[in-house]
Amino acid sequence: MSVAVLQTKPEEFPIPEGVFAETVTEVKHYTDNLFRFRTTRSDSLRFRSGEFVMIGLLNAKKPVYRAYSVASPNWDENLEFFSIKVPNGPLTEHLQKIQPGHTILIRKKPTGTLVNDALIPGKRLWMFSTGTGIAPFASLIRDPETYDKFEEVILTHTCREVTELKYGQDLIKEIKDDPLVGELTEGRLRYYCTTTREEYPFMGRITDLMKSGKLFEDLGVDPINLEVDRGMICGSMAMLNETKEILESFGLEEGARSKPASFVIERAFVG
Amino acid sequence: MTFIVTDGCINCKYKDCIEVCPVDCFYEGENMVVIHPDECIDCAVCEPECPVDAIKPDTVDGAQFWIDLNKKYAEKWPNINEQSEPCADREEWANKPDKLPLLSEAPAK
Repeated sequence: MSVAVLQTKPEEFPIPEGVFAETVTEVKHYTDNLFRFRTTRSDSLRFRSGEFVMIGLLNAKKPVYRAYSVASPNWDENLEFFSIKVPNGPLTEHLQKIQPGHTILIRKKPTGTLVNDALIPGKRLWMFSTGTGIAPFASLIRDPETYDKFEEVILTHTCREVTELKYGQDLIKEIKDDPLVGELTEGRLRYYCTTTREEYPFMGRITDLMKSGKLFEDLGVDPINLEVDRGMICGSMAMLNETKEILESFGLEEGARSKPASFVIERAFVG
Repeated sequence: MTFIVTDGCINCKYKDCIEVCPVDCFYEGENMVVIHPDECIDCAVCEPECPVDAIKPDTVDGAQFWIDLNKKYAEKWPNINEQSEPCADREEWANKPDKLPLLSEAPAK
C-alpha cells in the first residue's frame, strides 16, 4: 500500500509519465461527506460526456488512483468532479483537503459506459442515480448532444438526506441560465429527487418507486417501455443490480459501447 | 477484486476491451489477451464490451483457475494499450467452447 500524505511541497514528487497534471480552481463542500471541485483542463484531454477518468494526487512516488466520473460536459474548458469523503479512503482521505492551486493527476484514458453512443435511438432518456452517481449525468444533461438524441430527459437522484441532494438541485437551477444548453433543456429536462431517511416531499428508493409505479404517476408518464425509453444507471452496487432487473422486466436490454442497446450501467466506483 | 479473461478469447482476440481499460492492465499473447489481476481496478467497463463474453468477474465458479492463469501470462506477455487487429479467423472460433488446449504460451509478436 502506498504511503500517501497530503501534498505540501509539490516539487517533492515528479509528475508521473502518462498523466495530465491539472490545477484545482475551486472547491465546494456540501456536507461532511460530499464535495465538488473544479480543475483546469489540458487541451489534449478529450472525453465523451458521461465518461470517467482515473484521478490521483501528487503525494507519493506511485500515486493511488481512483475512478471519477467527469461531471462537466465535454465542451467545458474546465473539469468538474463530485466526490464522497471516505474515512481512511486511500485517495479521498487526502482529496477532501485539496485547495485551489493544488495539483490533481489525471490518467490519460477517459472511459466508461454511460455515453450516448452506447444507446440505440429512443424518445426518452432516464438517468437513475444515487449519491455521487449523479456525476456522469451532470455531464450528460449539459451536453447538447443528449438533446439531439432524445426528446425528453428525466434525471432521478436519491440520497439518504436532504442536504445530499443540494449538488443536483443547484445543477438543475443553474442549467436554466446556461447559454449553451439552457434553452434546449426547457420543458425537456425533468428532475426527480427523493430521500430515503430524512423527511422530504418525495421519499423512497427509486427501485421501490418504479416497482410501485409511483415514479411514473408522479411524473405523469407511461411506465417504461422499449419503444420509447432508454436508461442509464449509476449508483451503489445493490441499486445497479436492482434497477437493471427492473429495466429488464420492462423489456430493455443492457448495452455497451461496442454493442449499443436500450440501457447501460456504470460499475466503476470511488473508494 | 479483478476481472478475468477466460478461454473464450482464444483464437479471437477482438480486443474491444483494450480500448476501454482506464488502467491499461491487459497483456497480449499470440492468441489470447489476459488481465493483470493486481492492476485491474474492477471498474467492469471491459466486461460488456467483449463480443464473445470471455471476460468475467472473479466471483464466477472456478474463478481462481483463471485468476492464476491471467496473472501468470500477464507477467510474461507484453502490455497492450491500444486496440489492434483481432485474429484473422475469429468468427470461426467465436463461440466454440473449451478452447484452453489451444492456448499458445507465446507472447504477441
